[in-house]
Amino acid sequence: MADKEPVVDRPEDEEEASAAAAAAGGEEEDTGAQVAPIVRLEEVAVTTGEEDEDVLLDMKAKLYRFDKEGNQWKERGTGTVKLLKHKENGKVRLVMRQAKTLKICANHLVASTTKMQEHAGSDKSCVWHAADFADGELKEEMFAIRFGSVENCKKFKDLVEEISESLAKTEGKETEEDSSAAGLLEKLSVTEKKSEEVATKEESTEAVKETDTKSAATSE
Amino acid sequence: MALPNQGTVDYPSFKLVIVGDGGTGKTTFVKRHLTGEFEKKYEPTIGVEVHPLDFTTNCGKIRFYCWDTAGQEKFGGLRDGYYIHGQCAIIMFDVTSRLTYKNVPTWHRDLCRVCENIPIVLCGNKVDVKNRQVKAKQVTFHRKKNLQYYEISAKSNYNFEKPFLYLARKLAGDPNLHFVEAVALKPPEVPIDLAMQQQHEAELAAAAAQPLPDDDDDLIE
Repeated sequence: MADKEPVVDRPEDEEEASAAAAAAGGEEEDTGAQVAPIVRLEEVAVTTGEEDEDVLLDMKAKLYRFDKEGNQWKERGTGTVKLLKHKENGKVRLVMRQAKTLKICANHLVASTTKMQEHAGSDKSCVWHAADFADGELKEEMFAIRFGSVENCKKFKDLVEEISESLAKTEGKETEEDSSAAGLLEKLSVTEKKSEEVATKEESTEAVKETDTKSAATSE
Repeated sequence: MALPNQGTVDYPSFKLVIVGDGGTGKTTFVKRHLTGEFEKKYEPTIGVEVHPLDFTTNCGKIRFYCWDTAGQEKFGGLRDGYYIHGQCAIIMFDVTSRLTYKNVPTWHRDLCRVCENIPIVLCGNKVDVKNRQVKAKQVTFHRKKNLQYYEISAKSNYNFEKPFLYLARKLAGDPNLHFVEAVALKPPEVPIDLAMQQQHEAELAAAAAQPLPDDDDDLIE
């Protein structure tokens, strides 16, 4: 069992040299059989879904998702992560695609609640929570992302935090307006309480009158 | 194909049979494409597991129903019964194990008895491992039998899209077919729930302490 196989010279060396040359030239040799195609596909217009967005960031990275059942991080994809800002409504989302296959491995809005935390074991990584839409349905995920350098990680983290803080401020203003409305509602409530109090007093007065009448009758 | 979860789709789909010795990485390769994860633990596949894999090409979407078969004889189930109506195939061997390459002719023979004249890709997996036993130069079976050959690594993702791209081109008869960006649908707005947010932050802090899977930083250029 421990014996090594003898290395046998093969007559196909020349063919392999050709194959190597082809590979070096970037072209692949097709050694497969001629088979009749079984479908006819027509070229279609390609839509990426990003046509209405400006690219704020585009970097190579490796993405992980946290598997709660196994209590461990698992790879989700290696490719490019983009932060995209909608040209009209200004919303920003994160889209990551797997290299080569160009499938989507993350797709979610950057919200005011999106907080980037450092990963304990690596200064090239950070973690966050998101409602992810990569599969076409919303799914709560915890993501970790690793970059090729500390600088790139910092760029990504800082930009996401800048965006979410900006959103928080915008939403904060709206919240103040809501508070004013709530104040008005409280005043209305107080007025209603006063009306109720007046009604209660009237009832009390009538009760006293009845008592007086009874006392008078008893005296006679 | 009367299996559950075989709902038809309105774009072309193909039955892809994946065969090869046990432990060569068939299931790990499929999982890599399905979820992105690299499964280190070896669990022998029992019978067959069928997974739909979609790709977006310049000619629209296509789907491969990946019939990931048992490589170990004792878990073979219907064995070559799983090959019926296969429209394309992958034969997987492990470049760190000579025996798995020696057995390729047997897999090919059994496959071709059932599926005649279908495009087949031979894959030499685990080329990320330094001490490989089957050198690229020694792989010659594909030339004798008119298969396409790719050296791949399910771990490093080296050439991991090539088998599917090759098969798609053959099935469509279009050597220029290529993968394009899948459509990134606009994600819906999510209402903010403060209680949930606090829970998420606690979970995230705990998760941040868990190590990321061991890997080589060099993978990110």
